[in-house]
Amino acid sequence: MKNLTLSIIAVTMAFITVSCNQVSNKNEQSSNDTSDVSQEQTVSQPNGGDTIAAPGVSETPNGQQTTATEQEKKFSIAPIVTDYLSLKNALVSDNDKAAASAGKKLLATLNKVDLKAIPADKHKQYMEIADDAKEHAEHINENVGNIHHQREHLAVLGEGLKDLIELFGTTQTLYQNHCPMFNDGKGAVWFSENKEIKNPYYGSKMMTCGKVEKTITGK
Amino acid sequence: MGLAVILIGIQFFQPLRNQSDEVPATHIEKVYSVPQNVNAILAQSCYDCHSNNTSYPWYSRIQPGAWYLAEHIKKGKEELNFSEFGEYSARKQRSKLRAMSGQIKDGEMPLSSYTLIHRNAILSEEDKQILMKWFGAMEDSIK
Repeated sequence: MKNLTLSIIAVTMAFITVSCNQVSNKNEQSSNDTSDVSQEQTVSQPNGGDTIAAPGVSETPNGQQTTATEQEKKFSIAPIVTDYLSLKNALVSDNDKAAASAGKKLLATLNKVDLKAIPADKHKQYMEIADDAKEHAEHINENVGNIHHQREHLAVLGEGLKDLIELFGTTQTLYQNHCPMFNDGKGAVWFSENKEIKNPYYGSKMMTCGKVEKTITGK
Repeated sequence: MGLAVILIGIQFFQPLRNQSDEVPATHIEKVYSVPQNVNAILAQSCYDCHSNNTSYPWYSRIQPGAWYLAEHIKKGKEELNFSEFGEYSARKQRSKLRAMSGQIKDGEMPLSSYTLIHRNAILSEEDKQILMKWFGAMEDSIK
């Protein structure tokens, strides 16, 4: 009987502790908001506009602001292209594990993109492509052992990348290729760094299937 | 003894129920015209985990099963929520429709852990064809 009471108390205590922690976390955060300006910055970073709107943040952000404008001219999808290509190459070599880690890398790269560097008129389109791409990258990462599924996600990523290239151009010369069979015969696009056809959707089963549709010269 | 006590203890901690009386304006049924036969299959086999309204079985109140269920529904809705389909960008909608079609074709959805108990959620071959055909047509129609 003593055990019973003790256990109930223990369980209740555990819950109270958890909920109290949450409350105090919230408190901490809100006190950071008002008192500690530099802390507040790191907290609100993923949340774009907050930093600009926050009162009293004048010293450090000025420095950041200049770098942002410098980057605006230079905004490039090159890191995304690089990660896409290594993902694509992993699937060319039928390597689901390498594809998974390439997917993880791509996700990290997409999460690191400095959104402030993207020209305002392209911001919305970029966000839609990136949000969708993140999900595909995540799924590729989670699907070791199901290479077919990883390839389905690559096909949608390819379409996203196509739109990204149209929006922002590419610094690296790329070949836009078409695989007529994938996606139930509806076909799928992929990009490669070389002209030689190496099909990522079927790998060794149909390595040379597909054709170059377009050469996109890097600028 | 200790285990029994914990089991009784946790019954008092019920997760929030995923239930809603109204169909929001962003629900797929409100945004697109969903044929009745498609709608019936979606409601029967998908909405429990992929909408804001789960129809709970009686045993869903029993812990720790209720937590397990709540976790499942949370994950399911993160991936795809028919109640919020209208909020998705056109790109995301297309992408989800294609993914749904693929998942059904490969027999990955509904999850076998779900159909194990919900026998009526199992999709017949005909159901699968109806869904895949509609998903495909929808994907092509959204620009």
